Amino acid sequence: MTEDLDIKLIKHIQDGIPLTKTPYKDMADGLGMSEEEVIGRLKALLKNGKIRRLAASIAHRKIGINSNAMTVWKVPGERVDECGPIMAAFEEVTHCYERPTFPGWEYNVFTMIHGYTDEECENVIESIKQKTGLNDYVMLYSEREFKKVGVRI
Amino acid sequence: MALSEIDRKILQRLQTNLPLTHRPFLDLAKELELDEDLIIERVKSMVEGKYVRRLAPIINTQAVGNSATLAAMQVPEDRIDDVAEVINGYSGVSHNYLRKGKNKELPLNIWFTMSAPSQEKLEENIKEIEDSTGFKVRMLPTTKKFKIGVKFKIY
Repeated sequence: MTEDLDIKLIKHIQDGIPLTKTPYKDMADGLGMSEEEVIGRLKALLKNGKIRRLAASIAHRKIGINSNAMTVWKVPGERVDECGPIMAAFEEVTHCYERPTFPGWEYNVFTMIHGYTDEECENVIESIKQKTGLNDYVMLYSEREFKKVGVRI
Repeated sequence: MALSEIDRKILQRLQTNLPLTHRPFLDLAKELELDEDLIIERVKSMVEGKYVRRLAPIINTQAVGNSATLAAMQVPEDRIDDVAEVINGYSGVSHNYLRKGKNKELPLNIWFTMSAPSQEKLEENIKEIEDSTGFKVRMLPTTKKFKIGVKFKIY
């Protein structure tokens, strides 16, 4: 199995798989592969993590999930491994990362919080504060969306 | 078009993996106790109605060999539009937002994510943005991941 064929497969379907009864068969036909090969490659790509999921990306604003608060936290270095999982455990926290600091920027843990309302996001933030004892954070709400697309290769 | 109960049920399920089988929607139909044709028809309709951006592989850009970073800039009000346009011009930019601190004011206001085929190319792009806009770009790459989900609760 060459990497090139995996890339070819991903490129063929990254904007959407065929919405048919036999999507893998149909993509296989378009690529000159067999259905078994397409399924096998997708399984391997999921297993090795090159594909996170084969799933629907929803337009969250259109669904009514209108609030997105990127909340940045100042977490003491020795508490990052303890606080990260507490934050990540909330369903509304879709992403939770540690990132570098630099002079003038001391917020090292980022949580992306999605909710139907700002209040819903802020309730999560309140719970995180209570569970971790952290108090230094900034809620950064999106005022304008200039671009939002899926990651393409 | 408003989402029906059935649409919501399908969407909730489709945020996790589609089965890798000969008839994946038939498998979903059994699981959700719905009809295969109905599921396909509803998914198509939700894609057309733009409730679903796409049903496709969600790519881990770093695992396929790309380098990626979150980046932030401090840009004065009257330059925001043209700086945002410069950033959007890069195909590796997947998100680009103007953000404002609610409980505290922060100088950084434009936040974007960029990926590129290599770290070198990524840094080159960032440098280009700095040169063409005249503003510093702060790179904030992930140093540790606790969660990457993006599964929404559909009411």
